[in-house]
Amino acid sequence: MARKRAELDRRTVLKGAAAGAAATIFAPNIVAAQNKVVRIGMPTILSGRVAQLGTSSRNAVIMEVEKINAAGGLAGRQIEMVIRDSKGQPQEAARVSRELVNSDGCEILLDAEASSGSFAVQEVAKDLGVLVMHTNSETSSLTADPKIRIPLAFRSCRQGIHDAVVSGAYAAEIAKAKKINRWGTCSPDYAYGRDNTQLFVEYLKHFYPQAEVTTEAWPKLFQPDYTEVITRVLQNKPQALYSALWGGDLTSWVDQASIYALFSQMEVFAINMADYTVLTAVKNLPKGIHSATRYIKTYPATKQNAAWGDEYRARFKEYPTNWSWENWVGIHFIAEAAKKANSADGKKIAEAMRGLKIDCPFGADGTVTMRADDQTVIGYAIGWGPTISQEPYVPEVKGASWDTILQLEAEWKKRNNYT
Amino acid sequence: MNLAALMDCLTSASCLVTQTTSGLIIGMLLFLVAAGLTLIFGVLKVVNFTHGSFYMLGAYLAYTVNGLTDSYVLAVLAAATGVGIFALIFERFFMSKVYGSNVLMQLLVCYAFILILDDAVKIIWGPEFKSMGMATAFQKPPLFIAGGIVPVFYLFLIIVTLVISAALYLVITRTRFGTVVRAAAVNPSMVSALGINTGLVYSGVFVLGGMLAGLAGGLAAPVRSLTAGMGFSILIESFIVTVIGGMGSIAGALLGSVLIGLVRSFGSIGFPLFVEGLMFLLMAVILILKPSGLLGKEG
Amino acid sequence: MLSTRPNLARDISIAAVALIVLLLLPYVWPSRMMNDLVIRVSAFALFATSLNLLVGYTGMVSFGHGMFFGFGAYAFGLSMQRLGVSIPTAILITIVSSALLGLVVGAISIRLKDIYFSFITLAFQMLLYSTVIAWVPLTGGDQGLMGGIPRPPFLGIDLSIESHRYAFAVTIMVVGLLILRQIVESPFGYTLRMIRDNTERATFLGINVFRAKLTAFVIAGVFGSLGGMVMALFVSGAYPEFVNWTMSGEGIFMIMLGGLSTFIGPAAGALILSLLNDVITRGTEHHGLFLGAVILLFALGLRKGVTDFIADWFRTRREASTRSGN
Repeated sequence: MARKRAELDRRTVLKGAAAGAAATIFAPNIVAAQNKVVRIGMPTILSGRVAQLGTSSRNAVIMEVEKINAAGGLAGRQIEMVIRDSKGQPQEAARVSRELVNSDGCEILLDAEASSGSFAVQEVAKDLGVLVMHTNSETSSLTADPKIRIPLAFRSCRQGIHDAVVSGAYAAEIAKAKKINRWGTCSPDYAYGRDNTQLFVEYLKHFYPQAEVTTEAWPKLFQPDYTEVITRVLQNKPQALYSALWGGDLTSWVDQASIYALFSQMEVFAINMADYTVLTAVKNLPKGIHSATRYIKTYPATKQNAAWGDEYRARFKEYPTNWSWENWVGIHFIAEAAKKANSADGKKIAEAMRGLKIDCPFGADGTVTMRADDQTVIGYAIGWGPTISQEPYVPEVKGASWDTILQLEAEWKKRNNYT
Repeated sequence: MNLAALMDCLTSASCLVTQTTSGLIIGMLLFLVAAGLTLIFGVLKVVNFTHGSFYMLGAYLAYTVNGLTDSYVLAVLAAATGVGIFALIFERFFMSKVYGSNVLMQLLVCYAFILILDDAVKIIWGPEFKSMGMATAFQKPPLFIAGGIVPVFYLFLIIVTLVISAALYLVITRTRFGTVVRAAAVNPSMVSALGINTGLVYSGVFVLGGMLAGLAGGLAAPVRSLTAGMGFSILIESFIVTVIGGMGSIAGALLGSVLIGLVRSFGSIGFPLFVEGLMFLLMAVILILKPSGLLGKEG
Repeated sequence: MLSTRPNLARDISIAAVALIVLLLLPYVWPSRMMNDLVIRVSAFALFATSLNLLVGYTGMVSFGHGMFFGFGAYAFGLSMQRLGVSIPTAILITIVSSALLGLVVGAISIRLKDIYFSFITLAFQMLLYSTVIAWVPLTGGDQGLMGGIPRPPFLGIDLSIESHRYAFAVTIMVVGLLILRQIVESPFGYTLRMIRDNTERATFLGINVFRAKLTAFVIAGVFGSLGGMVMALFVSGAYPEFVNWTMSGEGIFMIMLGGLSTFIGPAAGALILSLLNDVITRGTEHHGLFLGAVILLFALGLRKGVTDFIADWFRTRREASTRSGN
């Protein structure tokens, strides 16, 4: 008898909970009434192996939204961020984005997804007609390919093709000086790793035609053991090695390659080395690995950049990441465009954003521009240099020339029939 | 696909030595995890899908103890002990409740723990990845054997694994515990009829399996970055290893580990983009030809 | 043969009522979120119910059913993107190709017993997953099918319109479940149950066990792939996650949660798991911790699916009333 009652109680409780949950989910869209707040939905990855992508993006956004709100918000309306975990699954990114717009009343999406998620969010934005700012997806085709591009979607982060031109030019210069002709590559076998590496090789050869790739190793994403790819490279004995590994995979790889003494046998160019997450995690960093700057508070060497890095670090007790500054750019472009349009309406913001130039601590010349024709950001600071194991980590950065980048990017677009 | 490169490697002594040793290295660490998995299945007929999480837990415990004591040996011992204790709790309070139910219930309990442990690790140690660093004793240039390169640390790992395998063999074949475990694997009701507490045997096997996984996590920690979810790829590989070798057979796990190690090291030369697929292909083919695995008992 | 079954009329009327209710739902309770949920649950309901044809009715515990869900999504998406065919043709292609996949995988896997059957289905699924990841020119690799799936109108139905998409998804789901219901209630369905309970007896009675199991495997594969197709329509793409082992894991969890012993259990499980996922994701980023705790509570506490409880409750009540009637 007693047992029966307990069961009944449990069932009622469950039913009550379910009803409550249903009420919150299916509440009509009157929550986001006009004039009060403007909600910005942010789908991102907050769990799993790359949770840091989401948490460091979220930190930057929270910090900047406070400042933007203090300065009046979006055309007088205070911003309220609704940040939700997609677990790194594209179908969840799509679902969460729809939920943010349809049920939470978000009028703008700040898409802090990795690349496959960003394509899913793009489809949602197309379907629902909301403004979306992609803040983390570096895949060039997202904005470069006119078949994929849509008028309401923008990108506030670095782009693969820009990276490749800069990397190719830097590596070619060293190759010329040291007569490095035999190159190897070791990059993760997924879209980013493949595109990045293939474009790097293309521009390395463009600047230094004698270069040839003699070996390629393609470990899987999140592979725990790199022994076979390391020995494969060592077998071939190239003079230099290029790698697009990143994050935890890069630290594993560096640790494992170290005990094979790989770094004393060839010049290594690891494009994603100079990010604090990697630099501070690796315990015995071999000297002189070349890397592109991802986020480093000493480059560009300006007061604004250093101050921002310190502010972030003081507040969140960790260094900002590559994704942090990219989200800074995303949210500030939305805010500046809203100011210019004097409206928080997505379509008006989009109109004002095309071609907009804003002040930015991470700009090569203190500004960044949202290029009008393909709605992607240009003019951000980017450079390469050798890394060391303590502050400032990349003591000498060789900055890139945006003239060269833009010229070669235009040719690349033509080759791919994007223009 | 690059069959020419594979042929080149197979005919070159230095490539053959390096890739074979690298296959052995990959295989040895896999074996430690797979041995526990296969032991548990052999006796309890439970596929312990949380085994990868045990490995992860071992790596994180080693990281913390290494940070506190600066001793790799203590770190590894702490990893094995800590995970052993965790395995005991897991078995006593959760897994043992679903021994009688169907395999799907066991699967669910394991799945729940994979989810919980990944999040727990993220809460305790933070979402960013960690690197433990190599003990100074192993920061030495690699050895050159017959034209092939062998790092000192990996030589150490191979030796440790071989010692542990030998110890495991002795425990299973020469001790009373081993006899009971072997008996329980064949006929549990007979064992309990003899007045032996099967529950205790099951716990013991789980603890032993957990310790092996924790040990593997601790041993590998210097060369693998630690993240929530790191146990997953290990789980999949050691699962393939045990299926290939024969679920329940420790010798089979050893054979399977080396086989998978070699598939990886030579596969990365011949089929660099399909190494993973190659492993599943091998698993499927062996299941078709001999479902109980290479060294498993028909049953 | 079907007409001899007295419950056919009842099943059809239940299905008709369910369909009408679902079709009217957006007018009674206009919420785009609700529409999204119903579409997703429709996809998962087909997936889970088809898996239960194997697990619950035939006793074949497949760990690789996600392979069909993912295959359906890719087959449909690729037909639309690459071949530029009409939607009915793409559906036909999806059905035929997934039946072929089921035939090949089934013919090999069914020879294995018990847990080895589970393992080999998982191996085949992961083989397909590895292929999807590696065959970049066709599948887009880890990025999935990008750029959206075209949705040209057919027979006055335009799936780029949300209400049409909703109606299409629920119709496919209800009709699909109705057909599956007829299959499990047919003599063939009872053959499957007999194989599950006593394979030797079935063999002794002259049943070709292999052929029956293979037929069940192919049917389950086809309906599983239809679930994937509905999902592909919803997200306008297909992703490797659909082919990954986690999909199979979720399917198993759905049927356990909803209950294996009732026909509607897996569909109920699909609804519960989707709601659970949505609510937990809204509330916390530690969804693993919470979902894990719920699963533990379920596996160690309830030990039965939700519909099992309801069925038990009805049974005890009926028994009680018969007893009092005596």
